[in-house]
Amino acid sequence: MRSEVRFRLNGQPVSAQVAPHESLVEVLQEAFGLYGTRESCGQGLCGCCTVLVDGVAVSGCLQLATLVHDKEVLTVENGAALDPVQQAFIEAGAFQCGFCTPGFILMTRQLLDEHPDPNDDQIRHYLSGNLCRCAAYPEIIEAVKLAGRKRRKS
Amino acid sequence: MKRASQPTETPQVGRSIPRLESWLKVTGRAEYVHNLRLPGMLYGKIFRSSVSHGRIKSIDTAAARALAGVHSVVTAEEVRAIVPDPYYGPAFHDQPVLAVDKVRYVGEPVAVVLASDPHVAEEAVHLISAEYEELPAVYDEVEAMTSKAIVHDVLKPAGTFPDLKHLQGKKNTNLALDFRLRRGSPEAALRSAHRVFEHRFRTQQVMHTPLEPLVSVAESTEDSLTIHTASQSPSFVRIEIARLLGWAENRVRVRVPFLGGGFGAKLYIKLEALVSVLSLLSKRPVKISLTMEEQFFTITKHASTFRIKSGVDATGRIVARECEVWWNGGAYADIGPRVTQKSGFTAPGPYDIEHVAIDSYALYTNLPPAGALRGFGIPQLVWAYESHTDLIARELGMDPVKFRRQNLLREGRPQATGTVLRDAETGKVLDRLATLLEWDKPFEKGTGPLRRGRGIAVGFKACVSNTSSLASVSINADGSCTVYCSTVDMGQGSDTAMAQIAAEVLRVPAESVRVVHSDTDVTPFDMATLGSRSLFLMGNAVRLAAEDAVQKINQLRKELGLAPDVPVPDIFKKKFGMRAGNVMGTASFNPPYTPPDANGLTENATPFWMVGGTGVEIEVDTETGRVRITRLINVADVGTPINPKIVETQLSGASIMQLGFTLFEKMQFDAAGQLRNASLAEYKIPGFLDLPDEIVNEAVSAEQKTGPFGAKGVGESATFGLSPAVANAIQDAVGVRLTELPMNPEAVFVKMQDQ
Amino acid sequence: MTPFELLQPRTLREAIALLGEASARPFSGGTAVMLMMKAGVLRPSRLVSLRNLSLEKIEVGSDGALRVGAMATLRALEKSAAVRAGWPAITRTLRTLSNVRVRNVATIGGHLAHGDPHTDLPPLLCVLGATVTVAGKDGERRVPVEKLYAGYLETTLRPGDLITQVQIPPMGTRRAVYLKCTTRSADDWPAVGVAVVFEPEKEEFSLVVSAATDKPTRVASVEAVDALPIESDLHGSAAYKKQLVRVYLKRAMDEARKPAH
Repeated sequence: MRSEVRFRLNGQPVSAQVAPHESLVEVLQEAFGLYGTRESCGQGLCGCCTVLVDGVAVSGCLQLATLVHDKEVLTVENGAALDPVQQAFIEAGAFQCGFCTPGFILMTRQLLDEHPDPNDDQIRHYLSGNLCRCAAYPEIIEAVKLAGRKRRKS
Repeated sequence: MKRASQPTETPQVGRSIPRLESWLKVTGRAEYVHNLRLPGMLYGKIFRSSVSHGRIKSIDTAAARALAGVHSVVTAEEVRAIVPDPYYGPAFHDQPVLAVDKVRYVGEPVAVVLASDPHVAEEAVHLISAEYEELPAVYDEVEAMTSKAIVHDVLKPAGTFPDLKHLQGKKNTNLALDFRLRRGSPEAALRSAHRVFEHRFRTQQVMHTPLEPLVSVAESTEDSLTIHTASQSPSFVRIEIARLLGWAENRVRVRVPFLGGGFGAKLYIKLEALVSVLSLLSKRPVKISLTMEEQFFTITKHASTFRIKSGVDATGRIVARECEVWWNGGAYADIGPRVTQKSGFTAPGPYDIEHVAIDSYALYTNLPPAGALRGFGIPQLVWAYESHTDLIARELGMDPVKFRRQNLLREGRPQATGTVLRDAETGKVLDRLATLLEWDKPFEKGTGPLRRGRGIAVGFKACVSNTSSLASVSINADGSCTVYCSTVDMGQGSDTAMAQIAAEVLRVPAESVRVVHSDTDVTPFDMATLGSRSLFLMGNAVRLAAEDAVQKINQLRKELGLAPDVPVPDIFKKKFGMRAGNVMGTASFNPPYTPPDANGLTENATPFWMVGGTGVEIEVDTETGRVRITRLINVADVGTPINPKIVETQLSGASIMQLGFTLFEKMQFDAAGQLRNASLAEYKIPGFLDLPDEIVNEAVSAEQKTGPFGAKGVGESATFGLSPAVANAIQDAVGVRLTELPMNPEAVFVKMQDQ
Repeated sequence: MTPFELLQPRTLREAIALLGEASARPFSGGTAVMLMMKAGVLRPSRLVSLRNLSLEKIEVGSDGALRVGAMATLRALEKSAAVRAGWPAITRTLRTLSNVRVRNVATIGGHLAHGDPHTDLPPLLCVLGATVTVAGKDGERRVPVEKLYAGYLETTLRPGDLITQVQIPPMGTRRAVYLKCTTRSADDWPAVGVAVVFEPEKEEFSLVVSAATDKPTRVASVEAVDALPIESDLHGSAAYKKQLVRVYLKRAMDEARKPAH
């Protein structure tokens, strides 16, 4: 039994017909053609499905789409130009296959919002829920610090 | 870079340029087959065997077929209508598209439900039931040699790859391949040796867990097929699917965008045959996208047992080494036989040993199939020989680095096969490790509950042979350039490397080169993206193709009577009357190879060697057995790097992956062959909190003279030495020797208690 | 996943009534419920969301006790200055509880009601003497957290019961430490969790063990660990887990003895 869910997606008001069991990842892909948010482990452990709902990072694969009604949803596709975090990831070479990268980008933005100048320990703990099988972890730590510096400059 | 650029004299290789696809990856716009949806597409969900070995008595699909929204349910019976002989595999044609008569491991695909809604398909799978007459099963590789439980009644060797042509399937055995090497008189040498040492080592079954799980989509017409697949071997997919269908190869098109990780999982045939058949049956596009859990039932890494015996003379020289390796291949051979042979011949390690015996066995068991995983059997071998070598040194009272130096196989000397080592900086790698670890300085081990230790290990690998890579390079009328090659970028940076190589020849900025992704209608044949071969083989092909393109342009200049400095666009204007057209350079690269004789010996086993070493400093919590790596040093010979930054990240990434296999990853089965931890919740892979405090990555100064601009592969080199380096460090710290992986806290703790 | 009905009541009374029906399941953050549904372990015909019940308040009462609404997210708890000031062991424990995304949506009520021994707050709240308010068909009652658990994924809550608030007594002079250890990757479900409270004025310890046991379990002393009903599993053998429990209890006790906690 589908019902209409209305919400704001990357700054625009949208609506979709969703079944109660559909996850936010499925709806973002099926209804909106946004594939930056991906289901990988399916258990909220890898972070590939990271989405922001009302400013808070959640695991999209465990989020029922129905429940984002009237909420603000932001994905990695939000924004026209590369932000300092994306630029830092490129400069630091902080990705390889890229499948986990959107999740890291979104989590890094959240991290820097809360801790503008994080140390290694803070970075590791905040991002401990994001996995990278290519193991670009050391480069990601550098990218986070670089992004922090870029943000503080501007 | 959007505009066609001006020529440049700046060298393009040796530049740490950002990856060409960077924008796509940080904006989430990179294309993966994971994302692909086609109009009218059906999703396939797989019903899998619940027993590890059994004859299929019946499959009841009635309830599943009746579920609203289900398009159809397919078993081997329907498959055979399209493919009468539905068996595939790179070494043996032993793997059925869907189980035929028998199931051979828990999780083997038995039936598929097709539906437009994947949730409906999933629901229908739960409504399928099957009855099996259970058969005795075997799980251990050594036991499989003599077990009465026989996994395959009849074997059919495949002839697709030249080096496997000679395989003859035996009957009533679980032994798929028996590789044998004899050099000198090892038995006699061991008998007369001053001292003899023998040890046994074991490794565990693990899984690659690429974050983009395996996925394939097929769409078909009456007589053509397009397969969009997350595969490292598109050319092979085309050959094999065409063979299965009895079609001409040009009727099968295989497309590969980016892979969300590969590591060897996405090779040969995984889902491609199944989706192809399903598409032909349903006349609709069909997608099968595995969950993370299902990957564990699809392809894994060989568990192994390695018995290694060495004879040493009075001066500490290894005079003989006897290697016996059992590889646990699981229920289907996949590329196991190649692992057994091609890695098998390096079993004695990078040591100069006159008398060598190697017996390397590929065994069938009733477990999920094992195939290629980053390192391709080398890490399992290095685990044994570098632990063994370290033990010998300690027994002799010799410093482990000194002992290795004395016995190291060096430039110009023959390896066990008889092939002479060329451009393989074994000595440099070992010395650099020792320097970076400050091996000659005293090391504080501590006296409290936390003990410290350090260890070193060096391994090597021969690039798989005999293989070919072909490439085309187009110079377009505006001067822009395009590279066409079937190498697949799975995160190792191959697009960028090929662009840099082409750019170096074409004298344009690397960022301006367009690299077209694998599409067998467009990009020429490549053996596959595996075993760190692409940079050397495809890199050379791309270089030659670019040179061919340049030569053709220069030829055109001559024909048109134009001066050497006339820009490219003007050449085309003169030739075609407008700035249009292109010149296509083509090349193939297939280095010479001599197959081994009956004793496994050959003068030309490989076109190049990889050398990788690891040094670690660790801390052991003696109250819990937990090991923490405080310093991790990765050193490798990668020739002259094309992109130094990417090389560094490949060393680092490979070592962290191997860290997981070393300290905690393990597929855990119960007594009935059921996997108990098929998910990332219970199969843990390395995360941020597992990182060593410090990681150092270095490529020694080296040149692969036959490589493109001196370069060769790097993707696997940092996997070789990590496991034994840690075991050696544990012995250094707390005096115990672990001989099995993973070295989790309980294993370390129990070993310490046993002392 | 099997199809289900999703209901979003706005009052507690409504929620309790809806949960009275068989095969109805409450959820708040939804992470645990979603995981179980995707795994096919849970197949409710009806999911009752508790997100609109306005039970998120975190406050310190005049009696010095911490009162946390059951729908307060773990992240809100983690960031609460009041909690950090009065119950720093809770703040520290939350830092490594699962990951940030989970803590952003998971609620303390859901966390406690799940009954999974491989979680961090139940043993800590047990040893702190915390209680919960449970609202059900027959009204409200107070239950010590210690009495909430019957076994693995089994609570003493009845169908239709909902945790509405958690109460944690003031620390006073007590010091609390929670330590956990994992036996696979560093970030993993705990194989062993120990929660310890030290009362310096009486030189007395309270000890609670979890994860290795199938529910938070009080032990009188480190010596008593041998008698605990610990079984072998994917995290390790029973004997090894007992060793870990002993080691971590000692470490937690040493830590708790230190002043300025």
